[in-house]
Amino acid sequence: MASRTASKDIITLRGSAAIVSEFFGYAANSILYNRGVYPEESFTKVKKYGLSMLLTQDESVKSFIGSLTSQLSEWLEAGKLQRIVLVIMSMATSEVLERWNFNIETDAEVVEKGVSREKSDKEIMREIQAIMRQIASCITYLPCLDEPCVFDVLAYTDKDVAIPFAWIESDAKLIQNPQMVKLHSFDTKIHKVDTLVSYKNDDWDEK
Amino acid sequence: MILRTPPPRKRRADSVADHESPVSDRRLVLYDDAVPVSSVDPPPDQMVCTYHCRQMVKSEFLVAFDTAEKQVREYQSQLERWKTELHESEDERKKCQDRLSYLEQELEASKGREHALQERLLKEVNDSQERYQFQIKRCHELEVQLKKEVDSRKNFESSAASAKERVTDLEEKLQRLSESSEREKNRLQRELSHLQDESQLSVSRKTADLEKMRLKAENLEEESELLRKQFKDIREQLDECLHQKSALEHELSTIPTPSQESTPSEDQNLVKHLRDELQNYEAEVQEARRLKSCHVNNELLKEKLLEEKGRREKAEMELSKFQQAQLNAQNLELELMSWKSLLKEIPDVTSYDDIPKKIAGLQKEAIESMIKVGEISAHLKELEVSLELAELSKQHAEKESALAKEEAENSAVEVKRLERMLSSVTEERDRLNKDATTLNKQKTVHADGGMMNETLVKDLESTLALREQTIKELENNLHKQREVMNRQHDEIKLLNEKLSFEARRIKSLEREGDRLRSEIALLESKLGHGDYSAANTKVLRMVNTLAVDNETKQTIEALQAELKKTRAKLQAVEELKGQSGQA
Repeated sequence: MASRTASKDIITLRGSAAIVSEFFGYAANSILYNRGVYPEESFTKVKKYGLSMLLTQDESVKSFIGSLTSQLSEWLEAGKLQRIVLVIMSMATSEVLERWNFNIETDAEVVEKGVSREKSDKEIMREIQAIMRQIASCITYLPCLDEPCVFDVLAYTDKDVAIPFAWIESDAKLIQNPQMVKLHSFDTKIHKVDTLVSYKNDDWDEK
Repeated sequence: MILRTPPPRKRRADSVADHESPVSDRRLVLYDDAVPVSSVDPPPDQMVCTYHCRQMVKSEFLVAFDTAEKQVREYQSQLERWKTELHESEDERKKCQDRLSYLEQELEASKGREHALQERLLKEVNDSQERYQFQIKRCHELEVQLKKEVDSRKNFESSAASAKERVTDLEEKLQRLSESSEREKNRLQRELSHLQDESQLSVSRKTADLEKMRLKAENLEEESELLRKQFKDIREQLDECLHQKSALEHELSTIPTPSQESTPSEDQNLVKHLRDELQNYEAEVQEARRLKSCHVNNELLKEKLLEEKGRREKAEMELSKFQQAQLNAQNLELELMSWKSLLKEIPDVTSYDDIPKKIAGLQKEAIESMIKVGEISAHLKELEVSLELAELSKQHAEKESALAKEEAENSAVEVKRLERMLSSVTEERDRLNKDATTLNKQKTVHADGGMMNETLVKDLESTLALREQTIKELENNLHKQREVMNRQHDEIKLLNEKLSFEARRIKSLEREGDRLRSEIALLESKLGHGDYSAANTKVLRMVNTLAVDNETKQTIEALQAELKKTRAKLQAVEELKGQSGQA
């Protein structure tokens, strides 16, 4: 994936796709923990990105996220993935309450010609760490989720992508008149990931 | 001051008035070297006349000598006075020379400073000219950019106006579309209710047919059992008949021919009887065959009954699925209502087919606007950079103008100082001229002792002429410097005007930048909202939701296949119904 050079590391398309898909896996776990979608006792701590990250131990959620990230990695290597959205919905009403938007910009030259780029691994980890810290601090401004919620993941791909098995076309699950907060971004020089969270206006705030 | 000559003795001057001779007793003493002067011997009387003459001559000589001495003393005093005056003039000359040397040094220093100042001013002028030209170039470039921005803004405004017009048209079309969609919806609802009724009727008919078929099957089963029993009996009878037949045939074959001639009537009766029995047996065999075929048909009917039972169960399942499909249809109707409500908000849509086109067009516009936003943001960054550079240049120019002002003030102070020096030097010159003229006048009276003064005066006059030339040159330089300073003041004024103009332009660019930033924020919000282009993008999600494994996948596939079959059957039923309706 990355080989050591004097001051910068060589990043290939496969390596960058692995970094981004792994980041999404950890980010999804962090969001599920921080938003209380699953109980806290179902998460365990691991060391990643220089932080103590929380991973779910629920086998079904694990397998879901695992198969999801493997498919995302394939799309990233093909340069077909444009955006990933983690949607949190009310279990009772299926109303979309939050959308965690991860916008991806891919260097087309790398996909077409297979060239590699140079960037320090430490720098990338630092950037990801900043995003993880922001996700953890989001509870200070996001409205409380007082009802049981479920989550789903949407992938915005190119039109010519063949729909894999166990995937179907879906609507965008938008929120009407959302509030938006832009978070940090990270760049592997091949894939640039911008993070943004949009959430439904809290009734208390509207009043 | 030590006098070289003693002052004149006052006693002698007083004695001259008393007409006293050096000899107090008025006696003429013969001059004799050996005789001391102080020897006082009374002269003889015989020489009194000559003595009186001599005394007279002596007195006259003494008077003349006194007068000469007086004149000498006067001349000596005058000489001493002149000497003192000469010393004083020499001192003054030295002072003047020192002052002249000082002035020359000052002049050279001022020349050097002036030269340095001129060079610095020239450099500053050149720098300011270069900056001015650079500013002009930047101004031209900014003007061109501003024109481009204004043109782009006009284009955007025109496109916005055209978009607004399209919006109004689209709203009208959307109203029409909503009306048509409502009509379509009502029609579909009516058709759906009709189909529901028909399906219920068909289901009831199917159930009735199933009941009939079941009853028939039960009757046929009973009949088949009866027939089976009859078949068994008949089969037994047939076997007996066949056995009897075979025995009779055997007997017939063993019976001899005369016996046959003897009893032809009995044989004929027997043959008739046998033929009758054969016919009966054949009839029974046919009946048995018929019963066998009935049994076979019965079994076929049983199979059909089983099939119909299976179909009934399937129909019941399909009924339940139909109910689920109704629920799904209701949910779909709700979604359709929500989509229609969304459609009402979307302009430029006349039918459902236009929706993806409109969405594609909107997404294209969004992408184009995003591209424009990116270009505008890049342009904005360039403008910000140019703005920062212009502000830096403005600050630099202000600093330089302040420095130039300070230098101009310093040079003005320097000029004033030089003017004061010049005035003092001219005054000095005038004074020296006056001294020179007085000395010249004194020279005419005292020609003997004035040779030195002439040379000094000539030297002074030459130095004065030189100083006058230097003073004239200084005045010319001062005049030139003043002109240069005036020109620099004018240039500074022009630069200040241009600075103010650039500051106004900077403010306008800042306002433009703020507006563009707000547009960028708005477009970023739209982007963050989740909008996308259907022509380039599709949204996928995993069906494999949590707690679904391979078995559920297979059940899902099986259910999907059954659903397709039921839909095909429903279509067939509808076609049959249509055909029956036509019939």
